[in-house]
Amino acid sequence: MNQQQEFTNLYNEYGEGIKKLCLGYTGDAVLAQDLLQETFIAVWSNMQKFRGDAKWSTWIYRIAVNTCLTHLRKKKDTLMDIENTSLSMLSEEVNTKEQEVQLLYKCISRLQETDRLIITLVLEDKPYEEIASITGITETNLRVKIHRIKKQLTQIYNSYAGL
Amino acid sequence: MQDFDSLKNVWQQPATDKPTLPGEIDINNKSKTTKMKLQQSQRHGSIMLVLTAIFIACLAIFGNLNFIHWYTYGGMVLIIIVCLVQAAFMYATYKKIRNIDDTVPPAEHLRQWETYYDLRKKQNTWNMPVYYIALNVAMAVYLIEIFTGRPLVNVVIFIAVYAAFMLFAYFYLDKKKIKREDRRLQKIIGELKAIEEQLSKTE
Repeated sequence: MNQQQEFTNLYNEYGEGIKKLCLGYTGDAVLAQDLLQETFIAVWSNMQKFRGDAKWSTWIYRIAVNTCLTHLRKKKDTLMDIENTSLSMLSEEVNTKEQEVQLLYKCISRLQETDRLIITLVLEDKPYEEIASITGITETNLRVKIHRIKKQLTQIYNSYAGL
Repeated sequence: MQDFDSLKNVWQQPATDKPTLPGEIDINNKSKTTKMKLQQSQRHGSIMLVLTAIFIACLAIFGNLNFIHWYTYGGMVLIIIVCLVQAAFMYATYKKIRNIDDTVPPAEHLRQWETYYDLRKKQNTWNMPVYYIALNVAMAVYLIEIFTGRPLVNVVIFIAVYAAFMLFAYFYLDKKKIKREDRRLQKIIGELKAIEEQLSKTE
């Protein structure tokens, strides 16, 4: 299999999940699209470096996490504006499934940067061991963090959904 | 009132208009990534300086300049050296950016960016002054012979205009740019540190 084919397979397999990670991180579809693009350009440029020490999924998600964390600074101000307006609009009428999903994205984007990424991986049902490997956080510390973030996210969601 | 498992169901439900992937990722659209943009500007600057050095060297060798004094050619050689040293410096910066590894754990990745921005901040304070001084010393050596035998008024006018432009460029334009760049770099370093702390914080 050549690099182009392998890349296409990786994109088809992990693209959707990475896009959701980026959406959870930014709460905005356009920014998420930019991050998805940046992530896969980095995947393409680094493919030769992949030695198989970790799973493809861990390796790609780690690139996505790195891309998200170093990208935010440029978009922070725009992001806050989007969050503030969209959340108030969404919370007025959370009655369809799609609106629930959108509200959830917005609520996640209210968390701290690293927390957003961790909780998105939890929502994607990634095993804790893999999340620890992606984020470079020890599993014990990660479990405590996840417990706190779950509580925080649920509170934020309920506070908006209940309005 | 929803609990976390309900939120997970919301997240995982097959929504009708869930995020869809574009047909393909344009991997040739390299201008899109921040890292590549930074690399490009350093590489481009480096290439332009090498081309300038080559142009001056060609002028000195094939230009039939017929200078009498060796130091006039010495001035040209100095300008070439200054351009090449600055080009090497920009190329080294380009390589530093290229060596930032996107595949390492986030804390390490953030540290690599932090080191790069820290270096840029230091470079801002000394690189441009050194470059300006070296370039102007070389120009001064070159101009000695050019000015010999010319009317004093012309020489004074040229030096005044040249010095005024250089001082304006250095003390106004560059200082302003460096100040703005410094603020930006400080902000970025601060944000990277904050994210790094979030990662390393034990609960």
